[in-house]
Amino acid sequence: MRRWHGWLIAAILLGAAALLLSLGDGEPARTTRPEVDFPVWMREPERQRAAQRATLVLPAPPPPAGVPADATPAEPPPRRDPFLVALPVEPDAPLIVMEANALRHSRLGERFVACMQQRDPDLFARLERETGIDPLKDVDRVGMAGEAVVLSGFFDRARWDSILEREPHFDAYGTSGRIYRGTNQRFIGTWGDHIIVVASDAAPIQRAIDQLEGRAPVPETGIPEDMAYGELYGVVPGAAAGKLLGADSRGISDRLAALADRIELHVDAMQDVAAVVRVQGPDQAGLDDLARTMGAALAVARVEAEATGDRATADLLEFATVDPGGQGLSLKVAVPAARLEALLGDCERRRPARPP
Amino acid sequence: MTRTLDIARDLLREARSRRWVLVLFSAETLLLLAATFGLQLDVVDGALAATRLFGGTMGRTIQAADVALRPLFEFVAYAVFYAGTALGVLACADFAPALLAPGRIEHLLSLPVRRAELVLGTFLGVLALVLGGALYGGLGLTLIVWAKTGVFGWAPVLAALLSAAAFASIYAAMMAAATAVRSAALSAAVGALVFVAGIVAGFRRSLAPMFSPGPSRAVFLGLTAPLPRLSELARVAGRAAGGVPPDAVQLAIQLGGAALFTAAALMVAVALLERRDF
Repeated sequence: MRRWHGWLIAAILLGAAALLLSLGDGEPARTTRPEVDFPVWMREPERQRAAQRATLVLPAPPPPAGVPADATPAEPPPRRDPFLVALPVEPDAPLIVMEANALRHSRLGERFVACMQQRDPDLFARLERETGIDPLKDVDRVGMAGEAVVLSGFFDRARWDSILEREPHFDAYGTSGRIYRGTNQRFIGTWGDHIIVVASDAAPIQRAIDQLEGRAPVPETGIPEDMAYGELYGVVPGAAAGKLLGADSRGISDRLAALADRIELHVDAMQDVAAVVRVQGPDQAGLDDLARTMGAALAVARVEAEATGDRATADLLEFATVDPGGQGLSLKVAVPAARLEALLGDCERRRPARPP
Repeated sequence: MTRTLDIARDLLREARSRRWVLVLFSAETLLLLAATFGLQLDVVDGALAATRLFGGTMGRTIQAADVALRPLFEFVAYAVFYAGTALGVLACADFAPALLAPGRIEHLLSLPVRRAELVLGTFLGVLALVLGGALYGGLGLTLIVWAKTGVFGWAPVLAALLSAAAFASIYAAMMAAATAVRSAALSAAVGALVFVAGIVAGFRRSLAPMFSPGPSRAVFLGLTAPLPRLSELARVAGRAAGGVPPDAVQLAIQLGGAALFTAAALMVAVALLERRDF
């Protein structure tokens, strides 16, 4: 080999390396594992949202026994969120709140609405025409307290004749309340134009209005303002959780029902769906033991899901953690938005054939 | 080829007597022993329930063991890659200059060995040494975690292999430097330079806007273009440890580019050695 040949080959190889490596520089999409942000506390936008919603001035509670009624009150009671105040909490029933308007504008909500409109383009317009309520704009929150459903939003254009399927007739209740009796033993209560309570009995509606107008105390087992974060949140009594989950081979739901006083739930769904479940109870040792059982059950379930090709469950359980300690245990599960979108598929494009 | 391998074997024999190499292997063994006896992983039905290091609790979050161990494997992957490469530069800087030492090189050239075989044999011997060390650490820790938890992670092994690929390109440049000037210090300095430049090259697209448009940016892009993207290879190792499958095309480009750079540097080393009279 001539002496300069080696240098020439080296230069060619160096040039080829530069050329090849430059191809890799332009690689825009690199596979990364998504990070999920769990709703473990109230964040600043949610704090601001809660402050804006705190518009209700409840009358100050009566002074304690022995204190004269005309004694100067220390501070006026803080303003409350009327929707949370209205929730007619049942002692052994779950209490769940959905931020309907936020969910509708979430990444998945947009896809879901698009899918619904693809199936029936006139669905939401028809609902608005019939009821006077645009479900995509007028409903802000939906709460489920036992058998009662509470809605907040803008209901001044509601067509009660159509909603009740009969001539609207109401009984005034309290200062701003109205109670309508619908068909099928369904009662609907309104408070102003912003709160609706639907129940099979007038009692929860009356209780909701009493709480709003200060005639009944707001139950401490309800949802306080600082717990109203995420797009879905609520509390479930231990006994109700046992019933909701049903029986399982490891006896987790039975032990949960026995150990949990209160189960708090927060779900973020604006991008990824990430849930935090906090279980509180007096027996910390029992909850620690339960945490280990749950962790093992989740790990086994994930392995089984992967073995059987159940990608959705495997993805859900990939982020699952159980955190014992503190005052109870905390369970986190999540599904990245991309995975959920993949599950929804391209339903927007799967328009059903219109009838001729 | 047999003569090339003979030279490589000869170098490995020599490495066994080197204090530097023995110290590094001993340190690696101590770390593995510390992991064996100090790390307690409490696994129940595939879920990692508690992690303790020398008795101190590191975390109580209960999670599927393979998912929970990803950060550990990720750390090990990066450590094996960067520490393995850096220690390789330090430990092996002296091999090529020793090969060219007066008396020894004349002896070697008196044997029926071509100069190119001499360069390639030395290169392969050093590469085998570094790969062995990286695999010893990476695979060793993988086996320890496997024995303790039942979770086997290939990531440290992949990191060791990628580390060897990265080191190959660095050591080829070190050999070229050593054949130009017989100095262990210069060889190590060139190794360190290519190591740092290779890390920078992995970020060249994001760093380029820091240079004003024109000649300075063009020079930066031109100089970094042929360099192996070491930080990108490290990221591949880290992501694989984190459970993200590597992008096959990207990996092939990076390994291919590093191989071409290695070949170019070795060719320079051969050309320089051919020019020298002993």
